[in-house]
Amino acid sequence: MDFWAVIQQEWATRALIASTMVGLMCGVLGVFLVLRHMSLVGDALGHAILPGVVVAFILVGYNTLGFFIGAVAAGMLTALGITWIQQHMRTKNDAAIGIVFTAMFSIGVMGISWISHEEGVHLDLKDFLFGNVLGVADQDLYLAAMTLVMVLASIIILYRPLFVSTFQEVVARTIGIKVETLHYFLMLMLSFAVVASLQTVGVILVVAMLITPASTALLLSKRLKWVLVWAGLIGVVSAVGGLLAAIVFETTPGPAIAVVATILYLIAAFIAPEKGLAMRTWHRIQLQRRIEEEDMLKCLFHLCRSSTPITIEALAQSLGQSPRKVRRVLSRLKAKSLIDDKWQLTQKGRARAAALIRAHRLWETYLAQRTGLKPEHIHADAERLEHLLPEEMLDTIDESLGFPSIDPHGSPIPPKEGLPDHPLSTLPVGQQARIAPTQPDEQVVAELWRLGLPPGTQIECLETDDGEVLIRYNGQTQRLPSHIARKVNIELVK
Amino acid sequence: MIDVPAISIRGLSVSYGRKRVLSNIWLDIEPGVVVGIVGPNGAGKSTLFKAIMGLLDQYMGEVHVLGKPVEEVRKQVAYIPQRDDIDWHFPATVYDIVVMGRYPHKGLLRRLDAQDHAIVRQALQDMDIAQLQHRQIGELSGGQQQRVFLARALAQQADILLLDEPFVGVDVTTEERIIQILKKLARSGKTMLVVHHDLSTVQAYFDKVVMLNQRLIAYGDTDTTFTEENIAATYRSQLPILHQAGLVE
Repeated sequence: MDFWAVIQQEWATRALIASTMVGLMCGVLGVFLVLRHMSLVGDALGHAILPGVVVAFILVGYNTLGFFIGAVAAGMLTALGITWIQQHMRTKNDAAIGIVFTAMFSIGVMGISWISHEEGVHLDLKDFLFGNVLGVADQDLYLAAMTLVMVLASIIILYRPLFVSTFQEVVARTIGIKVETLHYFLMLMLSFAVVASLQTVGVILVVAMLITPASTALLLSKRLKWVLVWAGLIGVVSAVGGLLAAIVFETTPGPAIAVVATILYLIAAFIAPEKGLAMRTWHRIQLQRRIEEEDMLKCLFHLCRSSTPITIEALAQSLGQSPRKVRRVLSRLKAKSLIDDKWQLTQKGRARAAALIRAHRLWETYLAQRTGLKPEHIHADAERLEHLLPEEMLDTIDESLGFPSIDPHGSPIPPKEGLPDHPLSTLPVGQQARIAPTQPDEQVVAELWRLGLPPGTQIECLETDDGEVLIRYNGQTQRLPSHIARKVNIELVK
Repeated sequence: MIDVPAISIRGLSVSYGRKRVLSNIWLDIEPGVVVGIVGPNGAGKSTLFKAIMGLLDQYMGEVHVLGKPVEEVRKQVAYIPQRDDIDWHFPATVYDIVVMGRYPHKGLLRRLDAQDHAIVRQALQDMDIAQLQHRQIGELSGGQQQRVFLARALAQQADILLLDEPFVGVDVTTEERIIQILKKLARSGKTMLVVHHDLSTVQAYFDKVVMLNQRLIAYGDTDTTFTEENIAATYRSQLPILHQAGLVE
């Protein structure tokens, strides 16, 4: 049959409206379920409403409203039963859920098969298990619409208490939120949603509508508000998409909806910004490449210092990499103009290498001083972290260590870029020196002129205290605080 | 108002079933101090916190906060739970968390106004995390996370802050920084109660110390109260460990 002709028929329109409403409310409600680690409870409630439907059928016959009330009652009974066991017995939480819902489900199934024996009863177990979205009646639509309005209104009104109590239950209590009441109210809303979904996806698969769109949404945003919007949207797309797919491929709608929801989840899991596999792999590759490049820079820097000729073989050996890899990394460095054609570090490359060595040696110093680890134990740790420590954290560490100039192995720690090669703060007592003609910091030069200490002035160190220095020059003495002394470049007078 | 203690506990006893957790505690804490709470596991430290937050169902005695029953002054008490109780993947940014501090003042539906947002921004600045406000909370370091919860307490404009082991999982530098922040808050009249395990830093960190082991062993200025004798009385069951650590002779 022609697809367009089919979906224009009344039963198809009703099915579409019902799925849209169910997708929306289950998606939104599911977010709180997932965040509260209650996914299993959603599954349990789905199964457990069955005996309620049976009892309602016995009492009032085939009546949608009757089913609704019976199902909600059974749902609440289940929620109370689970909570009671969890609080009063030494049974684990998930086990408690399992005990209660399988018992309820079994009673329901037995009940249905028992009343189906009587003649003229059109109560089909299959409809409850997998839904019967193509047989939605007006009354079902009204009930679903009412439920939808109630669920959405409650979430909007109770957004703040739900947010706080889901994130930190104890904190919610301290500011006077009635956490238990809220929990049972959420259970009530959940029973409503489950009953409303019965026709669309059935009791077995309702949990897919609750947790799959919500989990997908959680991959897509880092703010609760937007997660709720995404979850509603994805729920609708899954439900409608699944229904249409079922019509096209002439299959059962409930499972088709669950499959579409799962496909959307897989897509998000792959391409989601930040949390998706694709992005994470990309970031890992980027990091790996950066570490290779940085290790190469350091290696070049050391080879430069020891005036060993730079060859592919020497680099390959000292880095433990294949010559091919070394060539690749070198060409990447050249493209970033960190090295020149002769594999010599450019100005930019030298600065980067010095920054890395600073990170490495500062971290080693920090570990040695603050944790008491032996210098021989900390190299590996520093080797890894030198690539990862952010600049501002290094500055904090530097400051808290009092701007050390050598690491625990006795190697010099290069100063932060923009700091002098020979800072005044490292001048030993009694030593003569000259203010160097080249100064890295313009402001410091201005300050030096103000103090009558222009470049070239001869100075002598009289006293040092934690980076602060007392100097004598032109017959006067001057105390320079550490934050200035660190920035003044000097030349030793032989 | 100056005479009203920040927290006043009169004859508090708490039992869980048959097990006595706190026994006849009498304690007045004056405002504007940083108080360390020390004691072995099971000493009743978290029960004491629950009492001050008004979360105990059954207890004997009276607990007053700022001269009133706790239920009436909930807004004034901010609780900063242990870091490992928190789901760090939760979809919330730093700003979302700090703005929670305004909820108790707003009820369910009243919109947050410009003043609320100004208070939140100020709290973020005071804790030096304004530049992190759009980060998801899991993307922060331990110290930064701790400052987010302090900022929420500031946004709540609470006078009493209860911190449960705030230094667990935080590096030494940040630990010192947080204690500086607490001392500054104390100078502005707020009262901080801190559950703390590292006995070697008690002397440096706290103005006053509560030494608890079901009974109140001692309360007073850290200089005069945190003595070897009191430590031994508090940690009686764990003496061998303390001995090894060199904290008692």
